[in-house]
Amino acid sequence: MDALSMGLVAAMGALATVAGASEDIESDVGSQSNPNSQVQLAAQVGNPHRIYNKAISGEPPANALWATTAAVVAYTLITKFAMPALFAIAIGASVAALFNGVFSTSAYFGRNASQRRFNQWIYLDIVRYTTTSIMAHAWITAFCITCIAYIQTQILTPHHPFPMPVIALIWGLTVGAIGSSVGDIHYGGEREFQWRLFGQGLNTMLSGQIVRKAEAGLRNSIDNAWFCTKLGGPLTGLGFGLTVFLDNWRTTVFDPVTQAGLAIGMGLFFVILMNLYNFYVETSIRKKYGPYPGYKGDIAA
Amino acid sequence: MTVGGGAGGAPSAIDAKKLRIYGIGGALVGIYLAAILNSVLGTDIFSILAAAGAVAAAVMGANAVRRVCGYGIGTGVPSIGMLALGMGIVGASFGLSTAEQLGVSMAGVIIALVYAMVFGYIVGAIANKVMGFNIPIMEEGLTDLSGAGAMAIIGWSYAISGSLAYADMVSKVFNTGYLAIVFICGGLAILHPFNANLGPDEKQDRTLVNGLMVGSLAVVAVGLCSLATLSTTAAIITIVIGAAAWYYFYVWYYRLVKRDAAAVVGTGLLPPSAL
Repeated sequence: MDALSMGLVAAMGALATVAGASEDIESDVGSQSNPNSQVQLAAQVGNPHRIYNKAISGEPPANALWATTAAVVAYTLITKFAMPALFAIAIGASVAALFNGVFSTSAYFGRNASQRRFNQWIYLDIVRYTTTSIMAHAWITAFCITCIAYIQTQILTPHHPFPMPVIALIWGLTVGAIGSSVGDIHYGGEREFQWRLFGQGLNTMLSGQIVRKAEAGLRNSIDNAWFCTKLGGPLTGLGFGLTVFLDNWRTTVFDPVTQAGLAIGMGLFFVILMNLYNFYVETSIRKKYGPYPGYKGDIAA
Repeated sequence: MTVGGGAGGAPSAIDAKKLRIYGIGGALVGIYLAAILNSVLGTDIFSILAAAGAVAAAVMGANAVRRVCGYGIGTGVPSIGMLALGMGIVGASFGLSTAEQLGVSMAGVIIALVYAMVFGYIVGAIANKVMGFNIPIMEEGLTDLSGAGAMAIIGWSYAISGSLAYADMVSKVFNTGYLAIVFICGGLAILHPFNANLGPDEKQDRTLVNGLMVGSLAVVAVGLCSLATLSTTAAIITIVIGAAAWYYFYVWYYRLVKRDAAAVVGTGLLPPSAL
């Protein structure tokens, strides 16, 4: 371990935190992933809306695509044209953002056109101002993840043996998975069902009964991004940042070849510690706020 | 649970058999034409033909996703797209490396296609019989998907490597990591069309034009990669043709969206019925 490596690991953790936050907000602006099924169902149960319907795929493959696109472009520019890494990664992220725009708009058009019988209109003003916001967040995610992949494969010693695009693919999948499981709850569980007490769970009867009207006028996806920036985004960032930081910290402090046992042991220690902390958080919340009104006891499955 | 209420039996104007012939035929013709023209003329500018062939295969895959997922698999659409490329990559690697071992690298594509389709059929049979999906066309759908995945991988990889030799694939596509973009772009080209158009009023032509559009975008992506591995002329040709095709299909897709949507409005409140 040397000071430079530790600084790099810290920088990767910081980049990952930003990437996680922007990833979650990017998916929330477009209503991707889990909350998407409610946006999709809304029109079908008689609630047409003005919310973006960005059904690209689950977040992991979609983010893997943005990150990989940015990484292959950056890698090509760096290896073939000897371009400075920062410029190359910025250009790569721009290409990824353009790809994101294509996928986002085609999903919005397609999903809404397929709901003709439910009278779900396509609003072009929403396409114009929401897509750019989605693309901007995708740019940040792709930029940060490609930077992480670049640091891992080119600067951090020992260099990671995998090529840069593959590392970007793996981190893209990871950030998508973390955003999907951490941040989406804030949007899908709370924002879409603001009139329900949080934590009550979602009755099937309520599927598609999402909030469509805002404090003033009709709710749109930018309002949702504003809401999710408060908790969902930062928490996702924290989750992904910790994943990247702690995972690289243990292989930087302990040599992965000569001290493999210690590195693995430290990993297990983190997993156990986090599980205990999760257990503590859940039980203390249940004690403080539960049982929820309307809770009739567990129903046998 | 199903998100979109599926396409329920998926009515289609273009028959699946016809699309299968176009897809597999287009892919084989594209890849072999590219390989033969490149080696006979000693150039690499025809690599775009292999990429175009891969687009044909991806459209066939998109139609297979549409048929299988029309039985109510909504949230499973992305998974089945990834499965297609996963099976495809096994088939492609097997085919190309076996052909190399036998000393007939040109036969690699055929071996990969046959192996991938048999593999897909077995996976489909397991999904239906062991896991109990009970979707009548599961075996057929996964056979198509696996073949489409293998052809997409080989076609787009060829557009990066400029050669069908397994050693070149390994050094130019696998070791550089460009396989990652082939995998994920190929996966999206197969899964995105139906996923993006999911819903009760989904139309086959709109879905397939979306497939062509996303496939063309993948051609642009592999073109960008080939800047590092092929001659600049070949890479520029791939990028320009891919971008032009993307624009053409995107405009076409938007035209179909306007045809099918309840209304396309500049701005406005909710439909009067919903206020």
